[in-house]
Amino acid sequence: MPAQVLGENEQLKVEDLVVRFYTYEGIVKAVEKAKLTLMKGETLGVVGETGSGKSVTALTIMALTPTPGKVEGGHIYFKGTTGETVDVLSLKEAGLLKIRGKEISMIFQEPNAALDPLFKVGDQIAEAILAHRLPEMLEKANQLKKEKANNSSFLKSLPILRNRSRDKLLQQVVRKEILELLRLMEISDPERVIDAYPHELSGGMQQRIVIATALACSPTLLLADEPTTNLDVTVQAQILDLITRLKRRFGSSIIYITHDMGVIAEICDRVAVMYAGSVVEVAPVLEIFKTPLHPYTKALLESIPRPGSSFKSIPGTVPNLVTPPSGCRFHPRCYHAMEKCSREIPELKEISKGHCVACFLYGDA
Amino acid sequence: MDSGLRTYLARRLLLVIPTLIGVTLLIFAVTQLFDPVERASLYVRDPRQMRAVDEIIQKYGLDQPTYVQYLRWAEQVIQGNLGWSKSLNMQVIDALLTRFPATVELALFAAPITILLGIYLGKISAVKKDTFIDHVTRALAVVGWSLPSFWLGLVLLAFFYGGLGILSPGRLSPWAEALVRTGEFKVYTGLYTLDSILNLNAAVLLDALSHLILPVATLTIINVALIMRVMRSSMLEQLGKTYILSAKARGLDEKTVIDKHATKNALIPIVTLSGLLTAGLLSGMVITETIFQFKGVGYFAAHAATQLDIPAVLGFALMTGLIFVIANLIVDLLYAYIDPRIRLG
Amino acid sequence: MPKNRLWNSEHPRIKELVFVLRKLKASPLSIAGLSIVLLFTFLAILAPVLAPTQPDRDPYIMPREGYASTPKPPNTEHLFGTTEGQYDLYYGVIWGTRSAYRIGVLVVAVSTIIGIAVGSLAGYFKGLIDEVLMRLTDIILAFPGLILAMALVVAFGRGLDSITLAIILVGWPSYARLVRGEFLKVTSEDFVEAAKAIGCSDFRVIIKHVIPNTIFPLIIMASLDIGSIVLTAAALSFLGLGADPGYSDWGQIISLSRNWITGAPGNPFAYWHTFIIPGIFLFLFVIGWNLLGDALRDVLDPMIRRR
Repeated sequence: MPAQVLGENEQLKVEDLVVRFYTYEGIVKAVEKAKLTLMKGETLGVVGETGSGKSVTALTIMALTPTPGKVEGGHIYFKGTTGETVDVLSLKEAGLLKIRGKEISMIFQEPNAALDPLFKVGDQIAEAILAHRLPEMLEKANQLKKEKANNSSFLKSLPILRNRSRDKLLQQVVRKEILELLRLMEISDPERVIDAYPHELSGGMQQRIVIATALACSPTLLLADEPTTNLDVTVQAQILDLITRLKRRFGSSIIYITHDMGVIAEICDRVAVMYAGSVVEVAPVLEIFKTPLHPYTKALLESIPRPGSSFKSIPGTVPNLVTPPSGCRFHPRCYHAMEKCSREIPELKEISKGHCVACFLYGDA
Repeated sequence: MDSGLRTYLARRLLLVIPTLIGVTLLIFAVTQLFDPVERASLYVRDPRQMRAVDEIIQKYGLDQPTYVQYLRWAEQVIQGNLGWSKSLNMQVIDALLTRFPATVELALFAAPITILLGIYLGKISAVKKDTFIDHVTRALAVVGWSLPSFWLGLVLLAFFYGGLGILSPGRLSPWAEALVRTGEFKVYTGLYTLDSILNLNAAVLLDALSHLILPVATLTIINVALIMRVMRSSMLEQLGKTYILSAKARGLDEKTVIDKHATKNALIPIVTLSGLLTAGLLSGMVITETIFQFKGVGYFAAHAATQLDIPAVLGFALMTGLIFVIANLIVDLLYAYIDPRIRLG
Repeated sequence: MPKNRLWNSEHPRIKELVFVLRKLKASPLSIAGLSIVLLFTFLAILAPVLAPTQPDRDPYIMPREGYASTPKPPNTEHLFGTTEGQYDLYYGVIWGTRSAYRIGVLVVAVSTIIGIAVGSLAGYFKGLIDEVLMRLTDIILAFPGLILAMALVVAFGRGLDSITLAIILVGWPSYARLVRGEFLKVTSEDFVEAAKAIGCSDFRVIIKHVIPNTIFPLIIMASLDIGSIVLTAAALSFLGLGADPGYSDWGQIISLSRNWITGAPGNPFAYWHTFIIPGIFLFLFVIGWNLLGDALRDVLDPMIRRR
């Protein structure tokens, strides 16, 4: 793996990603040569309509592309705590298991659906801990045992019972860890919650559990797929706050997927705009709002309802991804479309510092 | 036990009563298809009583309005009087009770095997969707489901009994039957496999088991498709759910995700399905026991039907209704135990 | 050309039909099912041609050559041999196709009609009527079908007509539940409220919206049901509750072979034809319809969900 693929401060680079879904209705070209770069410690927002390919891209970063999807091209370079750069798409199951849940974690859109209804939430968090932090937990259990050894009875030192008592200590240690994690999630009664089943908890609480599971092993990269979309507005604010605070504490970078520009403005450092499977614009958050370049970005910002102004929507509909438009996929809906736009696909080019756009209106073709 | 579960259990148990009443109503409705003289045989415990038919009609109000008849009949049923079986020359209730253990034995082997095999095949089918294994198991399931049970039984008998001579119909070989008849072999439960363990008699145990092979195989082959199909679609449904993705995102390996999470959730509908399976097995018993001369209640009922032995057939129908209601009750209770979401409402 | 016009029609129902047929062509199992069903349909239709009848005999009674009980194996005179009692097996299985279809189609048709009637009443009026009707279906469904049918046949007396009636009485509840379900689903949808708001009568709503929605599920249910109906009827016939010996009914013919499955001394499969041949006909008929039903369900169900 070429060591210099990722720059000093770069953590993740998605290069020319192509993902296709083979369905009854045809081949859905969900992601078409998407490009993304993530810096260490930053919050990158990814915004786009339904069908823009943002969720698929996020899942593919963990090599969890849902069937019937297939990755058909591109690279996803990632540098984790080991310092080594890997192409996620080239890893086998063994390598992926080390990354998922540990280096890269994910928060899902529907917290209720993301939890197994038959298991207590505490057990589900424990799964993550035991999958990646087992040695650490065993170490703690042993320590605990040594402390207890002075007071233990003769029976407990028998070999058969030694393992059982060790398991019980392990359970205790993990439970303590989970309770600590729940407190970090600003859950006021962790003792009750840890033994609850998902359906016994409110939406906001469920999402906190999902976040807790994601952060249980201190990942360097957190993927958040519209984590607040399905929650009450008030709860939304709380969760957003929580995520921001946790990010500071854990030092992870975040890729935050949403269609809500308001959230973008609040917590993101940079923004990537996706349309119909490609990234059409990337810029620091202030610039995206001040000087949007891509016609789609402009239209997106204009379509945010404002008191006093009339309701403006983007003309046309989201393209059919089985038979997408030729050339630039936005051209049928674009006021500035030129003849070239229907023939060639524009590349993502850096126009000014940190501001890239994929449009023939800018830069040289 | 939390209060949610308690109220659910209480409500479910109470529901049994109207259902049972409904079952008796239906059977009673069938009795009304017969004329009073025929119906009289439903009330007698002794064939000699049939000579005084008019008395019987009087006593049980067979010429009275329907609801009166129903109450009188229900009263008799609850007291255990199901009439006299002319085809077997004994009281219907006795015939049913003495033959019930044989059917239980058959069911005790057939049901778990069918369910476990169905779950296993359904699971592989789903996990290896659209591969060769999937197609083969599904094809075999359709074949099994489409086979006439009586024909399958005949073919198996022709091959193993007629052709190879290694297995034979009936519950026991003649020498073992002799042991039972003379009392050397003590019958405790009526289930020969269990009894031979209690008698510490390995030879009879093997004999009983060998006689169970073909009937159990027949029942299993026919009914496994039912379980397999549901398990497959249930598994596929679970595998597409977000919590599976979430489990993988936590770093759990494929095997744990499938076995621990997907399978457990997928099994829930199977529990409910087991209730339906009971129905399938009960129906299957009638045919299978007849073909293999396995003298259980099904055999008795089929024989009675050909003799137009009304009390026997109706008594049997009543019994199966009862069994079905109980089976569904057990299934519903199990369901509540397994799925924590049910207890909330 | 008329055919092309139909094929490319813009009418939504025709388009669906074309879609269905195209999807059916795709899977080998569904082609197999369709072919088998077509084959048996032809056999049933062409029965008088393939196995000519005699003018003074009920066509469903098999011709017999003598009264000896030992069945004869296939030979030049009797293509499939004879059964116990010297009935011509070939004739029996060919006309047995007609018997099977007669029972199957009759039961499905009547069950559907009763089901639509009861289901519509329950779904439309709801309330008490719905409760009562649903309890009734519950009770009937609380019995294993074969056993209840058996009890009914004993009440009605032996015969194929009794069997047919019994299976109808046992089978209609499933259809009723299906129709009722569709009724409730459709009437709870907003467009029905809208239709009523602009003045559509209830009857119109039912005809234009509910009935079309129930057609596909009913077709699926019916085609999956025929197999089990014929199996149940065959089982009852086999037990001796159906037609008299000599009648062309697969179940009845198989029951004639019961004493001969162990063959003759020295030749255990001497009389294989007496049970193998009619059994294969029965089995293929059932599996053909089951495959077709499965295929139809795979094709039609996702379509319904897509709507």
